[in-house]
Amino acid sequence: MSLWHIAWGYIWNRKLITLLTVLSVALGVGLISAVHTLREETKRRFEEEGQAFDIVVGAKGSPLQLVLSSVYFLDAPTGNINYSDYEELLHHEDVRAAFPIGLGDTYRHFRIVGTVPELMHHKWIVDPISGRERIPFLLAEGRFFEKDFEAVVGSVVAQQTGLKIGDTFVGTHGFMEGEHAEYPYTVVGILKPGGTPNDRAIFTTLGSVWEVHSGHEARGEHTEGEEHHDDEKEVTAVLVNLQSPAMRFTFLDYVNREMNVMAAIPVNEIQKLYAQVLATANTVLLSVAYLVVIASALTIMIGLYMSIFQRRRDLAIMRALGASSIDIFGSVILEAFWVTILGIGVGWLLGNTVAWTLGMYLTQRIGMVITAFGLSGEMLFSYAVVIIVGLLAGILPARQAYRTDVARDLAAT
Amino acid sequence: MVEVIDCVRKLGPGVQFRCKEFRAEQAEMVALCGPSGCGKSTLLNLISGLLRPDSGIIRVDGIETQNMSEEEMDRFRGERIGFVFQTFNLLQPFTALQNVMLGMRFSDTRHSSEWKPRAMELLERVGLGHRFKSKPATMSVGEQQRVAIARALANKQKLILADEPTGSLDPKTAAEVMDLLLRLCEEEKVTLLLVTHDPTIAARFPRTFDCTDLVKDINEQVA
Repeated sequence: MSLWHIAWGYIWNRKLITLLTVLSVALGVGLISAVHTLREETKRRFEEEGQAFDIVVGAKGSPLQLVLSSVYFLDAPTGNINYSDYEELLHHEDVRAAFPIGLGDTYRHFRIVGTVPELMHHKWIVDPISGRERIPFLLAEGRFFEKDFEAVVGSVVAQQTGLKIGDTFVGTHGFMEGEHAEYPYTVVGILKPGGTPNDRAIFTTLGSVWEVHSGHEARGEHTEGEEHHDDEKEVTAVLVNLQSPAMRFTFLDYVNREMNVMAAIPVNEIQKLYAQVLATANTVLLSVAYLVVIASALTIMIGLYMSIFQRRRDLAIMRALGASSIDIFGSVILEAFWVTILGIGVGWLLGNTVAWTLGMYLTQRIGMVITAFGLSGEMLFSYAVVIIVGLLAGILPARQAYRTDVARDLAAT
Repeated sequence: MVEVIDCVRKLGPGVQFRCKEFRAEQAEMVALCGPSGCGKSTLLNLISGLLRPDSGIIRVDGIETQNMSEEEMDRFRGERIGFVFQTFNLLQPFTALQNVMLGMRFSDTRHSSEWKPRAMELLERVGLGHRFKSKPATMSVGEQQRVAIARALANKQKLILADEPTGSLDPKTAAEVMDLLLRLCEEEKVTLLLVTHDPTIAARFPRTFDCTDLVKDINEQVA
């Protein structure tokens, strides 16, 4: 019969009020948990993908747009650059590997990415300490493309379009109507789900993209607003790995200064995006969550206060049995602690369920996997804050209990 | 065992409790009698330290308690004084066994590993060996008072203060509870001070103490 047991006994004795109080705490904690999980997981995933290439080179415009379009296949490309720019980059002494990509067509709103077969064998170390590798192109079935109009489709593409090995399909120009019916692609491989943007893309040779668009150009099928393709061979962007990541800024300066193109460091652009836009949203959401926690702390306080008022006699009995004022104070504070801990437990479950559900949606939408049901340092810090708020909420009722007039309360029947 | 000497306590505007002298020996059983409001319960509260005197001396087990700090008094009460109330005063969220264990929880008289065996032994002795896990709400009033008696003896207290312990019971149950209380106090050699209105109960005690006029209205006296 420790004070913990006594506190638990009283909590259990008023189950309904406890349940409602726990739920109010859980609401705030759930919101905090969901915001933390989503923010940390999206940031981690974006940054991991961003680590795949040291530099992305493309047409001049917005560096963020270039990164989003060429690494994450999320935005419209900034334009095209000459194939000769790719060749110059490929042969630069600081460059370890360079992969050209050509964007433009889609199949049922999934990007068709023209590139070189070498990209399919690209891998990188995401964690230098553990040496954990990311191999983004793993085949579930079939093989990688070898010649023009052979296509490897991402797992989400295969799932949502029903494309199988041997199936053929035709691309649509941009995201607009207008099919290239005379240039059918044949599916030769399907990728394993990787939780990356590749899940939602279709990969083929750069030659296929060029050939489709040379015919397209000839018929003058361009509509206003679409990217323009010159007769000269062009690529949308070049994904570059340097001899060392330490050379990123020097090489960025070199490209921006010496070449008529734009370079961007993917990780930096993503971090800037987080700092500028998502951090604000994150702060707003967390502020709301903490307000909910403060509101629920008031609920704890009112609940405990009412409870103390109703059981003044019980407290007097405990005093008569020899409980000190400190024992009484402690048992009430522990009640607040139990309610807060239960609220945190339920809130963690609630928040992570929301994050997991949103993660499922994000996986379908942009191929990003959110790993929910984890615990991070920031989450633990937030929970510690919630516990402190909960304990503070218990102080006033505990003080009331502490000051109980034993003789008077025992006489009251 | 208990001495109250020239003890005064103000109870309200012009209302005062005054006890010139009260003594009870070790293992003695004393019935405190008198009309309602005469000061019987106040005398018990002063002896237990739940009320503090404005002046005078209160000695329990040879120790003066009137000047003890709140904390010392809590500990002293938990170790040496047991209570049996008219309304039983069991804690509703807890089982019979837990209620008796609570009697030991707040004193340092025995190690926590002994609480459960001691509580079980006492419940067996009051005839509730089959009710360990029952909560007060599921027990009859007689059973609840038996649990309260077991709790009052949990620490092998030297003094039991009983405030009309049969006041809420029917005559048959009251007689059974009184039998039990007197028998256990005799077996444990405990001093029992029991407040009662009932002359038949008072008659079972070797000595009665008349509490009439312990509480007085000073204004009336002046007038």
